[in-house]
Amino acid sequence: MDFLLNDEQRQIVEMVRELAKEKVAPYAAQWDAEERFPHELVEVFAEAGLLGLAVPEEYGGLGAHPLTRVAVIEELAKVDASAALLVAVQDLGMTPILVGASEEQKARWLPKFASGEWLSAFGLTEPGAGSDPGGMVMRARREGDEYVLNGTKIFISNGSVAHGVTVFARTDPDSRGPKGITAFFVEKGTPGFTAVPMKGKLGLRASDTAELVFENCRIPAANRLGEEGEGFSIAMKTLDRSRPNIAAQALGVAQGAFDYALGYIQERQQFGRPVASFQGLQFMLAEMATEIEAARGLTYQAAIRVHEEGKDGARLVTANRYSAMAKMYATDVAMRVTTDAVQLLGGYGIMRDYPVERMMRDAKIFQIYEGTNQIQKIVIARSFLGGAKG
Amino acid sequence: MHIAVCIKQILDPEISPRAFKINREAKLAEQAGASLVIGPFDLNALEVAIQLKEKHGAKVTVLTFGEEKAQDALRRALAMGADEAVLVAGDGAASREPSVTAKVLAAAIRQLEPVDLVLCGRQSGEWDYGQVPGLLAEELGLPLVPFVPRLDVSGDGFRLERESDAGNVVVEAPKGLVVSITNAQDNNPRLPKVRDIMMANRKPIKKLGAADLGLDEASASASAGRLEVLDLFIPEVDSECEFVEGDDGAEKAANLVKKLLERKVI
Repeated sequence: MDFLLNDEQRQIVEMVRELAKEKVAPYAAQWDAEERFPHELVEVFAEAGLLGLAVPEEYGGLGAHPLTRVAVIEELAKVDASAALLVAVQDLGMTPILVGASEEQKARWLPKFASGEWLSAFGLTEPGAGSDPGGMVMRARREGDEYVLNGTKIFISNGSVAHGVTVFARTDPDSRGPKGITAFFVEKGTPGFTAVPMKGKLGLRASDTAELVFENCRIPAANRLGEEGEGFSIAMKTLDRSRPNIAAQALGVAQGAFDYALGYIQERQQFGRPVASFQGLQFMLAEMATEIEAARGLTYQAAIRVHEEGKDGARLVTANRYSAMAKMYATDVAMRVTTDAVQLLGGYGIMRDYPVERMMRDAKIFQIYEGTNQIQKIVIARSFLGGAKG
Repeated sequence: MHIAVCIKQILDPEISPRAFKINREAKLAEQAGASLVIGPFDLNALEVAIQLKEKHGAKVTVLTFGEEKAQDALRRALAMGADEAVLVAGDGAASREPSVTAKVLAAAIRQLEPVDLVLCGRQSGEWDYGQVPGLLAEELGLPLVPFVPRLDVSGDGFRLERESDAGNVVVEAPKGLVVSITNAQDNNPRLPKVRDIMMANRKPIKKLGAADLGLDEASASASAGRLEVLDLFIPEVDSECEFVEGDDGAEKAANLVKKLLERKVI
């Protein structure tokens, strides 16, 4: 699928490959073992321009095509899924601003994200509202020129390192489901807002995950994105656009695991010859490679469709189907391919001295976050059946 | 100050030995899945030029002699900070011959606005003949300072550090010279930023052919070369393992010495 990338995109991917080789790959295992967010990487990525990819040029960003972003995330994920997530979440966290904020708000916040001076985060999930975000209970009460936020968000990527978080809360206390939800932008350090890092994850251990607690947190009404009640729509527009990035992250991890296993089985000798000479392993290799290519096809297609259909910040209709397909398929492929890569390495595969063990652990969350793969199936089916439920 | 930097696009020298394949018939390395990159010492030369530009102000023109795909190398050089790029079109075989490369690059440099400094990597990083800098100086009628890790402006000319077998030699030279650059900590090539890559793709690349340079086609082609590659192969490396016997350490050591003497290793 590389033929879908233009010269500029290929050159950016090459630069990212070199950057990842020098600044990410040598440390990925250590960050994972220490379960440490690599703050030093933020500066490196900001300097290279990777944190401002999604921001339009008029706000100091690069206005990169979604396919460029997908290719960058894929390339980083080949060596470290957590490093790739840093770029993907920067994109995710500022997308509500891109699709829902006023010009004045964009001019106020986006340049800081574009330069990488600020990291962003997206606060939707709550302890009781995961696959069903309409079940959220976080409240936002209007008081004069302010809103008072109360509630808890959970599993928020970049939550404790972000300088600005978009959060969703109920402004209409009597509302149910998707209605009555409003989006807000909350700056780090606002009194009443605390972010608590969540430790002990299976994978993506070098990424930051936090619980966000709001206790009588007062924010200016000027920090509301869109109108009251538009929050759910802003959240869905955001996820429509971000799914190809998660597919790309999964794709990169799958490719990274495949590449490592491919090299290994040509070196590893058993029964007096390289294990790659055995047909059983060749069949595994063929299936892994084909699935990766198919996932890449869907992911790149989804990115291109998101670009074509999403230019005016509208809710996606057709592209949504493909971004859900890409997210579901690529993440399932990543789980299968990393598991098979561990298998190809035999006993060594489960050892931390080899990267496929980390890749397999990292892959699991892809099937869960930004809409579980079961939810993606509902999105895909409804794209054919209209609003039919059941 | 106007600096010309000559670069060559080569097969990525960092591909794994397993992935490196050659075509013995064509006497060429196969690209297969490997990427094409700027030669490592050429990157050092580019870095030196860009650092001089940042420090003293200069225009940096990057030149390459190669096929159409060598434009990627020029784009990378522009993204690193070069101002202008010139591609002299030639087939792959012609650009493998140092004397032809030097003649073509010299003709292209003569067409530029006057150049104060010509930088080349000390060798390409693939065939590694290391002859182009010397031949280019000869063609241009300019002095050559080879194996330079660092240089700076000094008075009306340059002060250069040159590596030699006996240690580093510091020399001064007036403007108008060719320098071959070798690697050092302080000329480690920078990675371009995304924005620089985007801007580089909006800059034009000047394309020249032999005719534009006042050269006849034959003198800029492989047929003008005086070098013939007779054979190209990856040497087979055999290794065998033998355990040295002996009752104790001393006897094992004595037996080891005996075997090494037998094989004329010592």
